[in-house]
Amino acid sequence: MKQTDRPIANPIVVLREEFDDWAVLFNADTAAAVGTNPVGVAVWKLMDGKRDIEGIVSEIKNSFEDTPDASGEEIAAFVGILAENGFVGMEQDSN
Amino acid sequence: MYEALREKEKVEPTTPRFMRTPRSLTIEITSRCNLRCRYCYFFNNPEVVYRDLPTDEWLTFFDELGSLGVMTLTLAGGEPFIREDLPVLLDGIVRNRMRFAFLSNGTLIDDEIAAFIAGTGRCEHVQVSVDGSSAQAHDSCRGEGSFEKALRGIRTLQRHQIGVTVRVTIHQHNVHDLENIAHFLLDDLGLPDFSTNSAGYMGTCCVNADEVLLNVDERKVAMATLLRLTEKYPGRISSSAGPLTDGRMWRRMEEARAQDKPAFHNGGRLTGCGCPSNKISVRADGAIVPCNMLAHMELGRINHDSLAEVWQNSPDLNQLRSRHNISLAEFEFCAGCSYIPYCTGNCPGLAYTLTGQVDHPSPDACMRRFLEDGGAII
Repeated sequence: MKQTDRPIANPIVVLREEFDDWAVLFNADTAAAVGTNPVGVAVWKLMDGKRDIEGIVSEIKNSFEDTPDASGEEIAAFVGILAENGFVGMEQDSN
Repeated sequence: MYEALREKEKVEPTTPRFMRTPRSLTIEITSRCNLRCRYCYFFNNPEVVYRDLPTDEWLTFFDELGSLGVMTLTLAGGEPFIREDLPVLLDGIVRNRMRFAFLSNGTLIDDEIAAFIAGTGRCEHVQVSVDGSSAQAHDSCRGEGSFEKALRGIRTLQRHQIGVTVRVTIHQHNVHDLENIAHFLLDDLGLPDFSTNSAGYMGTCCVNADEVLLNVDERKVAMATLLRLTEKYPGRISSSAGPLTDGRMWRRMEEARAQDKPAFHNGGRLTGCGCPSNKISVRADGAIVPCNMLAHMELGRINHDSLAEVWQNSPDLNQLRSRHNISLAEFEFCAGCSYIPYCTGNCPGLAYTLTGQVDHPSPDACMRRFLEDGGAII
């Protein structure tokens, strides 16, 4: 098994879309919670182990208007924070 | 990243602003209890049906809660540890990616259930009621032998490294024991902290009010003692109601009034209860209610009504949410009161039991009345 660069959401984490502009990712095992906005929610939903960060950024740019130039770096940093806190892992490649 | 991206997605807040689904629920998983405490809010409520649901009903409901993204359940009762199927219920909670906590008298907690709870890794804490530093004070309202059993339960939980919190309910028989209670809980038992409340005019307490409820002088004693103890044990004694909360709040209100300060941001209206914005409760018989303190207000029934539908569209719940728009100046009860700009009207549950109206300030938390009855700000 080889680790890929395709992030995959930890299935134990709950996504709560609490308001139109606010959501919470909640890890029931650790009680850790992260607040995020609709773009973060979209990123979260794209972390299915099939796309790498570049693919996710591309999808976000297609979905949201006027995406800032730095959005790629910001999304990468966001995913990195989630990974450090156990919200996200990297898909394993069986090949 | 969040700030940069949020700018373009910014949405003006709606009014009233409440979550799409509740974050947490308090669930009375049983109406049975092995104790009959003299100030229990739960029993002797003529508007409540005391009936337990079978295991399957709760498990079905937990599946619904999981689908709604509920984060935490507080399991109450009755006494939650009296349910023989508790491990099955906890499995259902864990399976649905939720965490849980307990409100308990502690007397039925043994190694077997403590080991099970610890094994889930999902327990926030178990809150055990301890009302005295000795059996005499504790058992006076909770029944003979309950002190030793509660302590045994706490030590069992500690042995299994489950978080324990203690709630001290203050009444006539322990109000002069508060120093000893703090020493006992924080120094002897080594608990990180504890919380306090006082017996309130609800349920069984209504029957025993004369022998249980604090009078004005005892409230003064409780407030002064607790305020002193919070200085001795910084950050280790808390409250969300009762003498410590009143003592702190009334001191702020008096200072503000004396200095003619602007109204508090939540002052002058019925803002004392924020619960309906993020949590809701379920009675042991499956009735959905806004809060255990408003157990008469049935909003729907689990597994019959959609919780999301109740949460978002119940007229009664939305009425409760809009309670914060009601000005205290509208009430004859508050006429001429100089504390109005700093007052929140406090708990609607107590307001209901004392006045018969939910949309009314709670007389129990009225600072002016307390002072008129001989009270003083510490």
